[in-house]
Amino acid sequence: MAVESVSVKSAYEREELLNGCQAVSHAVRLADVDVVAAYPIRPYTEVMDQISKFIADGEFYAEYIIADGEHSQFEIGKHAVSVGARAFVGSSGTGWMYATEALVATATDRLPLVAMCGNRALDDPGAFGVEHNDALMLRDVGWNLVWVDTAQQALDTTLLAYRIAEDPAVMMPTAVSLDGAFLTHSQHMVKIPTKEAVDQFLPPYNPKVKLDPDNPVSIAPQANEDWVMEIRRQNYEAGKRAKGVIYRAYREFNEIFGTHYENPFFEEFMTADADFVLIGMGSIAMPAKAAVKEMRRKGVKAGYISLHWLRPFPTEELRKALSRFRGIGVIDRDFAIGTPDLGGVLFHEIRSCMYRSSSRPNILNFISGLGARDTSIEDCMRMIDIVSHAKGDETEQVVTWIGVRE
Amino acid sequence: MSLEQARMKRIEIHYRGIFQKTLAKRIGGDLVKIAVSQGKVAFSNGRYSDSPERDGIPAKYFVYMSDELSEEDLEAVCGAKLEADKVDISIVLDDTMIKGVEPWAWYGIRPVNDRLVANAVQVFVSNRTFDDILSHLEKKDFAYRIGILPGEASFSGLWYYRDDGTDVRVLGAVARADPDAVDIDHVLEYVEKKYGKEKAAMAKKAYEELRLRDVRPGEGIVWPYQKPVLPKWTEFQEGVVVEGVKGQFRKGPRGTPRNPHFKRGTSKTQRPVIRFDLCTKCTLCWYECPDEVFDVTPEGYYDPHYEYCTGCGRCAEACPVEECIVMVDENRFDSYDSPWEMYRKDPKGYIEWVESKKGDERVVPSYVTGMGMRVEKGKKVPAKVR
Amino acid sequence: MMVEEELTKEELERRAKVYRGVHDIDLEEYYTSGHRTCQGCESALVMRSFAKASGPNTVVTGATGCMYVANTSYMSTPWAVPWMHTQLGAGGSSAVGMAAGLRALKNKGKLKKDIPHVIAFCGDLGGGDMGLGAISGALQTDYDLLIIIYDNESAANTDIQATGLTTWGAQTTFTPTGSVHRIMQKRWKKNVIGMMAAGHPNVRYLATACATYPAGDYLNKVRKALAAGGPTLIHTIDPCTKGWDYHPRYTGLIGELAVKTGIFPDYEIINGKVYYTYDARKKRVPVREYLEKQGRFSHFTEEDYEYVQSMVDEMWEDWEIPGVVPFRGDLKVAD
Repeated sequence: MAVESVSVKSAYEREELLNGCQAVSHAVRLADVDVVAAYPIRPYTEVMDQISKFIADGEFYAEYIIADGEHSQFEIGKHAVSVGARAFVGSSGTGWMYATEALVATATDRLPLVAMCGNRALDDPGAFGVEHNDALMLRDVGWNLVWVDTAQQALDTTLLAYRIAEDPAVMMPTAVSLDGAFLTHSQHMVKIPTKEAVDQFLPPYNPKVKLDPDNPVSIAPQANEDWVMEIRRQNYEAGKRAKGVIYRAYREFNEIFGTHYENPFFEEFMTADADFVLIGMGSIAMPAKAAVKEMRRKGVKAGYISLHWLRPFPTEELRKALSRFRGIGVIDRDFAIGTPDLGGVLFHEIRSCMYRSSSRPNILNFISGLGARDTSIEDCMRMIDIVSHAKGDETEQVVTWIGVRE
Repeated sequence: MSLEQARMKRIEIHYRGIFQKTLAKRIGGDLVKIAVSQGKVAFSNGRYSDSPERDGIPAKYFVYMSDELSEEDLEAVCGAKLEADKVDISIVLDDTMIKGVEPWAWYGIRPVNDRLVANAVQVFVSNRTFDDILSHLEKKDFAYRIGILPGEASFSGLWYYRDDGTDVRVLGAVARADPDAVDIDHVLEYVEKKYGKEKAAMAKKAYEELRLRDVRPGEGIVWPYQKPVLPKWTEFQEGVVVEGVKGQFRKGPRGTPRNPHFKRGTSKTQRPVIRFDLCTKCTLCWYECPDEVFDVTPEGYYDPHYEYCTGCGRCAEACPVEECIVMVDENRFDSYDSPWEMYRKDPKGYIEWVESKKGDERVVPSYVTGMGMRVEKGKKVPAKVR
Repeated sequence: MMVEEELTKEELERRAKVYRGVHDIDLEEYYTSGHRTCQGCESALVMRSFAKASGPNTVVTGATGCMYVANTSYMSTPWAVPWMHTQLGAGGSSAVGMAAGLRALKNKGKLKKDIPHVIAFCGDLGGGDMGLGAISGALQTDYDLLIIIYDNESAANTDIQATGLTTWGAQTTFTPTGSVHRIMQKRWKKNVIGMMAAGHPNVRYLATACATYPAGDYLNKVRKALAAGGPTLIHTIDPCTKGWDYHPRYTGLIGELAVKTGIFPDYEIINGKVYYTYDARKKRVPVREYLEKQGRFSHFTEEDYEYVQSMVDEMWEDWEIPGVVPFRGDLKVAD
């Protein structure tokens, strides 16, 4: 469908100082969401505060429910979508884990719920600093997972999440992950789109199948060995189709909002002529990019890749991009215990993706920033340094913990 | 020699869910231990999708044994499947199952001899004749044998087990039906040690009592039910969605729209026989039926749809008019046709037919299944044909 | 700005219409033949009856449990109204999700006709134990929804384990009678409706019921709950042929005895006032007549029957509001 764009300048009505949570709440306000289920847990809570204030001030209308726990919160969201409403929920860390039963069922029932995950360490101990293990826990079950680097991206990507999740070829729930504190809490100037522009970008949610007395269906009947393979395969194929839909959604978004998300899946920073590259997700991009510039001043041709969509994983695109470098340093802001080479979650995703690459860059892994421990520019420079000196032979240490007292 | 051709015995036990759960498991377990006592490798399992078992729904238990394969290989050949696709010995603990078994939706109504291979043997605990049984079984293009161990189906509750010796009698019968599986000496030795002399004698008597008959290729019937074809993953709605029951309600037989994929008729060992001439249209049979099988006729009578009736007996218990609804042995019937239509065509003929089917005895089951039952005289109520 | 959903006049009248007798009950089935329940299953009638009483303009969720697995095994359905599975503890939250979604769609003009009735059912395990918090959460909203706890006193779908609502002393696979310990099930049945009524004064209708006894009573309770509006809760006692271990034929009788012995108080709470469906204060059948007909009590001794009878008598003779709330004695001020 040809998209005649609202004139670019008028796609935005104003700019405001917002943190990541508030940015997402604007997207929810603009996206004609019907049902919001809230439950407090640091660091994502403020998105729900702001949404409630919008409702109280009549800035938009949605049914707003204070749930009795994350399990109920996410079930409320899931079943609101099942009757044809657009819903928004969110959580962090151990709250996200308490909702896991609902999260998985939402994906396997192919209900396009959108959730914000304010990434936070899992319990125990009850640390509320950022770690990515919460959202990563869903990486196999049929949620589309995307990480953002800035509050602006958080707003834009939440709108994109609805467009992608609800596409008839996809129909998969989508989680937008923001690093706790660094993104959820720090405030930046954010451009806020107009309702007209968002309405043009995001069609109303009108699912082919829903609980509707005019066309009775039964959703999620009990299955046995006669059926489960086929059901899993249907969801598996949706996961394949999601990539194409993401490209289309971003193209439409750029046209309407005049943004420049050329590559929806990852952003490349100074990689054109780079020999050594760091790759990570979320707010680690800030110190990493600064370190790239510092190392280039020292004559080391470094670069940084910030991965956004972990699911669907951009296998071909990332393999093509990474195969150009001599060395790659994967930064994991998550812990992984007893894994192959004791590497982190993102490390294994990247190494697996590169296995079939004709060129064989050396791939190392850095565990850093757990529980919101600062990752400084120097930390990132050290990572680049380690990668640039690595020989890539059998004996070499694969994983280095950066920033731990040892 | 492929593993498939190795010397082994694959045994299935057809039973009524819950009522014969403990019985089937004991028989299966004992067959394993007897085979082991004969130096064989053996193991048993239930059919996983039968669980959770439901009162009356056909279920299966399996035993596999071999004196040639290792346990690992036997497990690979037989154990890695949820249901045996070929069996050498089949035991049917309730002979009403010869009308077909439908354990769950989309499985279809399958003949009890569905999985037999050439020269297999199927043993029925039954008081019926060979011909009567054969007139219900699907014809095969190979020879096999059927055996009859005289006796009534032994039913228990979930907690209360009716220890009437059926388990040891079946062990004796298997030894006779296929001595290559378990031999009578090891059966008797095992039974005596575990259950005592009296039970061993029962096993021996069954060994002698079992009657066997060769079945020639082509003997039996053309099986009337289709086996459902399950759709490919591209052929059904995504999002784990199935169509709800659709259709317009209308009064009269088959007037209620129903789930076409699961008939339940094979769950019953007895069916409600209705004397429409005595019916006062009080609605209680229709009201109490957990399976919604009664279609209200334009005249206000209640016509049971036997394809869906599970034979629970609540209608008979609720009916206030003596002899108006009586539960009768399912074996006496061979069709699921609407009784109301038979009655309308020929009221007197229907009533005579019904009374002949009911016979003189009325069985009153004890409150706890398996604790026996009273047999009373049925009252002959003359036809009140208006 | 938010428009309370205006129910059309006819809809309100239809909802309030109470069945005058069994002949008055709708003939159409919205939960119909072709489900994998046990012979004689009372819970199947809990399903059938609420669907019939609520009618075609209804959306339903069913929490994991017998009435989920049995009714849709496998990939087929007896439901003629829209139905969806929900997680074991999500009876309450699934109802809220549907009700909120439908109200939003109605208020935004995206739902042309009346908002369907929202009904969620869960078992004694799903509603009485795991999902109690979610039900409490649902009862605090102002959505029109009905939650039904069908109580077969066990986790029946996993072949009968004890739950918080199992009768004292009963055999289940978690509480088998043994040679050393005859009685393993030592918990007394949780009093769900009394608890929920006491904790949620805004709720306009709560009730206990037995699906088939007295005839039509449960159907009318569903109708009254739907007519009362707001969040409502019904807890039914469902004799279970499999788990209670009796011949399927006698389900109706055992349900009747559960009420007449007073072991399962049968009443409604309408705007805070208690109306007994069966007044067990006056007349009670000895509880033994109910227990001895069930194989799950086949291990009982005289002492066990007497203990259960004493607990039932206490409920009807010592409680301030007999059978409903276990507060004893007149009100005092602490000195």
